[in-house]
Amino acid sequence: MSSIKRKNFKLGLDLFIKIIDIRFENMRSGYDLPLEKSPDTKFLLILVTLMVFLAVLSLSGSLALHDMSERWSSGLENKVTIEIPIETKDGHLLSQDTVKRETERLQIKLENHPFVKSAEILEDKDMGKLLDPWIGQDLLFSEVPLPGLIALEIKENAPTTLDDFRIDLAEMSSYANLEDHQEWLSELIRFAGILQSLSLIISVIIIGTTITAIIAAVRARMAIHKKEIELLHLIGAPDIYIAKQFRRHMSIIAFKGAILGTFLGLVSVFILMIFSQLIDSPLIPSLEISFISFLMILAFPLFFPAITSVTAYQTVLRSLKDML
Amino acid sequence: MIKFENVSFNYENGPDILKNINFTLAPGSYHFLSGPSGSGKTSLMSLLYLGHRPTSGRITMLSQDTKHMTREDFFSLRQKIGVVFQNYRLLNHLTAFDNVALPLRIQNKPEREIKSNVSELLDWVGLGDAQNSLPPTLSGGQQQRIAIARAVITRPKLLLADEPTGNLDSEMGYRLMRLFEQLNKMGTTTVIATHNQDIMERYKHSKLLLDNGSIYSNSKKDLLIKTIRDVY
Ligand SMILES: Nc1ncnc2c1ncn2[C@@H]1O[C@H](COP(=O)(O)OP(=O)(O)OP(=O)(O)O)[C@@H](O)[C@H]1O
Ligand SMILES: [Mg+2]
Repeated sequence: MSSIKRKNFKLGLDLFIKIIDIRFENMRSGYDLPLEKSPDTKFLLILVTLMVFLAVLSLSGSLALHDMSERWSSGLENKVTIEIPIETKDGHLLSQDTVKRETERLQIKLENHPFVKSAEILEDKDMGKLLDPWIGQDLLFSEVPLPGLIALEIKENAPTTLDDFRIDLAEMSSYANLEDHQEWLSELIRFAGILQSLSLIISVIIIGTTITAIIAAVRARMAIHKKEIELLHLIGAPDIYIAKQFRRHMSIIAFKGAILGTFLGLVSVFILMIFSQLIDSPLIPSLEISFISFLMILAFPLFFPAITSVTAYQTVLRSLKDML
Repeated sequence: MIKFENVSFNYENGPDILKNINFTLAPGSYHFLSGPSGSGKTSLMSLLYLGHRPTSGRITMLSQDTKHMTREDFFSLRQKIGVVFQNYRLLNHLTAFDNVALPLRIQNKPEREIKSNVSELLDWVGLGDAQNSLPPTLSGGQQQRIAIARAVITRPKLLLADEPTGNLDSEMGYRLMRLFEQLNKMGTTTVIATHNQDIMERYKHSKLLLDNGSIYSNSKKDLLIKTIRDVY
């Protein structure tokens, strides 16, 4: 990266921090300890920014996965596929003609079945799209024998169960297989679940790191300002009076970091979303985030100052008890 | 009422600074505390503002036995005590105004009241123009006046002043002594540690003398030689 670009970025960052600073300028009177002058304030700000950035990414990923598996399961809930395979159960190959005739015959029967809302034969070109990534457009159709596929939509209040329907299907056609996607789907959902737990673990680590850093920073500030704190005590300041000052100071740093981190995180997520939509492949699911998930991400700037606030307050109270 | 009963005190593993002393200070009384350098005046003060605990003995402050006080009790008691520390102990990053305002802010007084009271007092001690100055940019005498203003701003029940006129010329010194007199007339129990014979001569208040770990008083006309036992 050129130094000019880096300079611009730094300028932008400083400007951003300034704008937030102005908002707090009016509230600042009333610090009795020179907390703003602590040397590690900038370091802490960057740390919180990074942590929030990571948290936004991890949360977005987790929420996107959640939304995606919801879409998968609801999209396939009432859908099954019937296959007329090119090979019978005892190993005979069927001709393409037989497969096609059997498929069409079965489709008509299925349409009149009380269990079925709609039955649609998947045309060659539909299948082509599905198989394209594996086989490639050129090789298709003439050479490769394809099974017959019927996409079924089941009536919502069907009078019979899927198991009853299986028996009926066996009577209608001795070749047909029923594929209810459950196995395939549950595996995908399980995989999504693993990824989600992973992002949960990452979130826990992020929060743990933030809390640890806040505790360390508070302790360092208390050590630096031991004399001033002692004086405040001597003129009658109770522990909570002192703790509140630390709380405010640390929360403001965390708030700035959280806003910055959320902003950077959301920008990255949007870029990822746009990229994922540009790649038009059925294998790579497009990244989408629901409105509610988006709101959850926006709540982050409030969540981090909140844990910071509680952590700082409790740390001061505990350390003061040890001090005197 | 303030009462010391058989109080001894020493710093960690050091020699006894105060040896088994007894005295009582009546509410609203006024005392000069003197004694040679190193005799323990500042140490006695720190027992009075609960900065240190006695090694042994019992201290009763404003009618509360300090032995059974909680942490919170300590802070609320200290809010009733104004202290002028010998080394001032100002907060160097706060302006003169904010230093003096500190005890009021700790006591949650409304900012408007703070503004007018602090400005008025700073004017009175001759620091009207230095309100926004930081202590390190001020002279020793100016810093001392900030320390005094901070101690009296809350109209404490007990005022402890450790050499409060040490860095002041006599005119300003007497001006501040008048401030202490006025406060005392309004009911503040006052203890002023000083070497200044002129001041002790001019104001006819009780004199306490610390020497060699014991305390003596001029009350009961027993000039500076008798250990006080329930004098009042
Ligand atoms: N923090 C401390 N730790 C250990 N010893 C101390 C401490 N402060 C004071 N001393 C010792 O206690 C003794 C009494 O000190 P103190 O400051 O109370 O005397 P003083 O009467 O106030 O003296 P001065 O008139 O010089 O202010 C001295 O011998 C001093 O060395
Ligand atoms: Mg002294």
